[in-house]
Amino acid sequence: MPAWLRKLPLYLLVVAVVIWIVAPFLWLIISSLSYKVDLLSIPLQWIPRRITMENYQELFLYQGSFNVNAALFTSSIINSMVIASVATFIAMILGVLAAYALARVKFRGSDAYMVIMMGAQMIPPIAIVIPLYVVLRKLNLYDTYLGIVLVYQSFILPLVIWLMRSYFATIPAELEEAARIDGCTRLQALVRIVLPLSGPGLVSVLIFAFIASWNEYLYAFIYSSVTAKTLPVLIGEFSTKLGLEYLRIASAGVIASLPPIILALIFQKYLIKGLTAGAIKG
Amino acid sequence: MNSSGVLRLSLLERTKKLFVSENWFGFSLVMPALIAVFIIVFLPFVDSLWLSFQRHDLTRPQNDAFIGLGNYINLLGDDRYLGSLRASAVFSLVSVVFEVVLGVGIALVLNRKFIGQGFVRGLMILPWAMPAVVNAAMWKWIYNADYGALNALMTQLGILDEYQVWLANPVAAMALLILANVWKETPFTTILVLAALQGIPDTLYEAARVDGASAWHQFLYITFPLILPVVMVTMLLQTIWGFHHPFELAYIITGGGPYSSTELIPLRIYAQTFRSLRFGYGAAVAYLTSLLLLIPAIFYIRTAYKKIVEY
Amino acid sequence: MKTIKYYLFTLLILALLLSACAPQATETSQPVAPTEAEIDQPVAETEAPEAETITVIFPKHEAEWADVYEPRIKQFEAETGIKVVLIQSDWDSVADKIIPEMASGGSAYDVVEFDNGWVNEWCGAGWTTPLNDYMPEGYTDGMIPGLVDLFTCPDGTLHGVVWNNDTRFFYYNAAKLSEAGFEAPPATWDELVTQSQAAVDAGVVEYGMDPYWNQEWSLMNEFHFWTYVFGGEVADKQGCFLFNEDPNTLAGLEFAINLLNNGIANPAGLTYDQATAQNLFLSGNSLFFPQGISGLMALANDESASSVAGEIKIGLVPSGGKSLTLPEAFAIPANSQHKEAAWKFIEYMTSIESNVVIAKQIGLLPIWVDLYTDPELTALYPHWAGFYAQLDNVRGLSTLTWYGDFVDIGQAEIHKALAGEQTAQQALDNMAAGLSEFKCVP
Repeated sequence: MPAWLRKLPLYLLVVAVVIWIVAPFLWLIISSLSYKVDLLSIPLQWIPRRITMENYQELFLYQGSFNVNAALFTSSIINSMVIASVATFIAMILGVLAAYALARVKFRGSDAYMVIMMGAQMIPPIAIVIPLYVVLRKLNLYDTYLGIVLVYQSFILPLVIWLMRSYFATIPAELEEAARIDGCTRLQALVRIVLPLSGPGLVSVLIFAFIASWNEYLYAFIYSSVTAKTLPVLIGEFSTKLGLEYLRIASAGVIASLPPIILALIFQKYLIKGLTAGAIKG
Repeated sequence: MNSSGVLRLSLLERTKKLFVSENWFGFSLVMPALIAVFIIVFLPFVDSLWLSFQRHDLTRPQNDAFIGLGNYINLLGDDRYLGSLRASAVFSLVSVVFEVVLGVGIALVLNRKFIGQGFVRGLMILPWAMPAVVNAAMWKWIYNADYGALNALMTQLGILDEYQVWLANPVAAMALLILANVWKETPFTTILVLAALQGIPDTLYEAARVDGASAWHQFLYITFPLILPVVMVTMLLQTIWGFHHPFELAYIITGGGPYSSTELIPLRIYAQTFRSLRFGYGAAVAYLTSLLLLIPAIFYIRTAYKKIVEY
Repeated sequence: MKTIKYYLFTLLILALLLSACAPQATETSQPVAPTEAEIDQPVAETEAPEAETITVIFPKHEAEWADVYEPRIKQFEAETGIKVVLIQSDWDSVADKIIPEMASGGSAYDVVEFDNGWVNEWCGAGWTTPLNDYMPEGYTDGMIPGLVDLFTCPDGTLHGVVWNNDTRFFYYNAAKLSEAGFEAPPATWDELVTQSQAAVDAGVVEYGMDPYWNQEWSLMNEFHFWTYVFGGEVADKQGCFLFNEDPNTLAGLEFAINLLNNGIANPAGLTYDQATAQNLFLSGNSLFFPQGISGLMALANDESASSVAGEIKIGLVPSGGKSLTLPEAFAIPANSQHKEAAWKFIEYMTSIESNVVIAKQIGLLPIWVDLYTDPELTALYPHWAGFYAQLDNVRGLSTLTWYGDFVDIGQAEIHKALAGEQTAQQALDNMAAGLSEFKCVP
């Protein structure tokens, strides 16, 4: 059998996967480039007869005041970027340290710790959103970057800790022990041995932490107002007393999905295999 | 084996010496994270938990009172709550099954070498990268009875004769909600499983192939056990998230309809707290659900966690 | 190595600093203290008046196709010297933002949105300030009485002044109606059914109407409409239930259900919000839109948004029924620190001048009776004549301290009845059972 025929089932599967992932999003893009009247036609035209950039323009020009709305949209993108980056950064540092300790160090109370972290995941945000609101107001952290970054730690940290712990657990302890015999401290062993080996895990958790903060809605909505409003919150406001404004949501949604995808495209290179294999062989 | 025997002994001595400082070392690493989560989550949690033991309807402050477990007892007899619990359970569990099956399947495909593999791997995060509001609005538009892409596709492919009002049928509405949720959440499992697959050495597969193991056997005896820890973590997280997170999804796509058949728990909490202004009752809805979720969580910690640590 | 540790911690501190140094919240602005040099100036300077700042939060008007309120507010700032921090978003977001603030007794807002559905709830919670302390004698005399009553708490004090007189109108597609052989809109509901049937049979339209009966808050608005137009009642002044005992209320609900059963109403309407239903109406899918917003007329004649430009007219609600009014008002939270300035804002934005300016731009229905005979405005909006005739007849939603619960239970039961899964009577009985703890508590 020729090589390409052997690979055919694989490529068919790949095509199926791509269709599954991309099809709805493609429809979103097409909708965002269409006139409203055209979308409301039966039978549905998959490839629109005419496209328009007016939905994207409206993100910046809506209701005629260019400066105000362009500023609103771009500032919400900037807010999201800063908040997501800082929150991820802090959570990764604190979370990796904690996860390492949980995976390697047998200290008293590690079980209880896991229970607390799991418990934090199980408290629905909507239940604590109002008491936390009072706290943030009192600390003058309402509508600030710092306030939202701190609040985000409550759900990113447990996520990072849980996921990194299971990755660390899959890395054989002998490697670190060998390093420590050679004179490294535990932290040095962590940084020089474990972290590079858990590269794929680290990258994927980082991507998730970033996207989780980037897309978070409830906390950002309640705790931001004008200054720190993030992109999902702005998109959530694209509705009237009568219902959702689909086309604005579609165009803003397309733009909002781009940074995380770009991030993923850059970092997927690091999901490469063979790091652990080499270490074990060597 | 003299040299390694000597090595092991000195390791043991070292470990014994470090035992005392192990505790402190461990503590110092985990403390910062714990403090952060404690303060942000624990204090408000205690506050709202206390609230759940009270009758605190903001529009009738004259009725405020401490009623202990009163709210919880009322909840257990509240048909609306029980219905939403059932809906959330169906939603979450069915979603998780699909997310795991699809997630693992897609990860296996993406683990192979093919042209454009890097690009597809990056693209895969797309559904998860979309804000929840956008995802919900997108699917609502797709499911629209008169203009939706779903109806158009089905009729143009000849599967259906006429447009259906999907969201007016309880079973269809729930199925479509699950579809929207699975589409969005699967990349989470996919990427984590993919990363775990990276850690499995090729040599294991080569050895198995030499021994004549089929692809299915390779999966069952090599791949599956090695990705199981990660799969279990994602399963637990997705289950919990399926109960607590899909507010926008349900609110925007169905609003809880038709006639409350897709009314998930977050919708109940929202309705009781923000619309009916019954803060005590709303908090009780949240915490009763969390209590019920504790059961699979404890089960997970007992079984899977021990397994991972021993591994 | 230690350097790595220190490096990491330094980055951590930097990250925290970065987020802390971000732009500060603009909720309160401190007056700028004069510098030493200015104080020492021998030349006597007139003291710059300290600019009072108020924070205002209300939704964007649903017909605000172009910037209208912001310029008006800027004029208010210029004329009074009071600075306004404006927070505007959609209705749902505004409601959800206000609740935590009011519930925690905060003073962050000075003027808040006050929807007619919230009035008795907020009166019960004591969240707003009686405006009688601030308004001049006889201030409300020229206002539409119904709007004044709607925002009066049970103790008789006025708590809100309407900024959005969202009264609905009976729209119909006159062109398609005459194509089906009828020159006049229906005078009774039965006529509406026959006209719809004829039009559908003739293939002129798909449906008589595209309803918006999704299970959501506004479904209970619809419930009120059908109840009122059939002469029914929901609850009396003491909050005693009438909806499950009044035969007219039952008749209204049954009529709506039958519209679906007879194919007059689009069954997809069970999943539609008003915006979607409006889109269908504007694409020529149906004949009637019984409760459209005042601004729908302008939208219907906008060729870029509508396929039926020039075909839409406004008529009277059949069978002498009363239109629903869903007004929104401005209120001052009880804990506001700037109540005087807040009142000035309210007075300015709801004044006759403001009504005229905004009416000209987006067709906002005025709250002052005299403006309905203003020649300029009536020339622009001839359909106001019908509204003026019905001024005494518009009705608002039920004023209940338990309105939130009413909607919560009602929307599920009514939706079930509309979907054909239970009868109208069962729905009303289930509502009564679920709300029994509130019976006869206003």
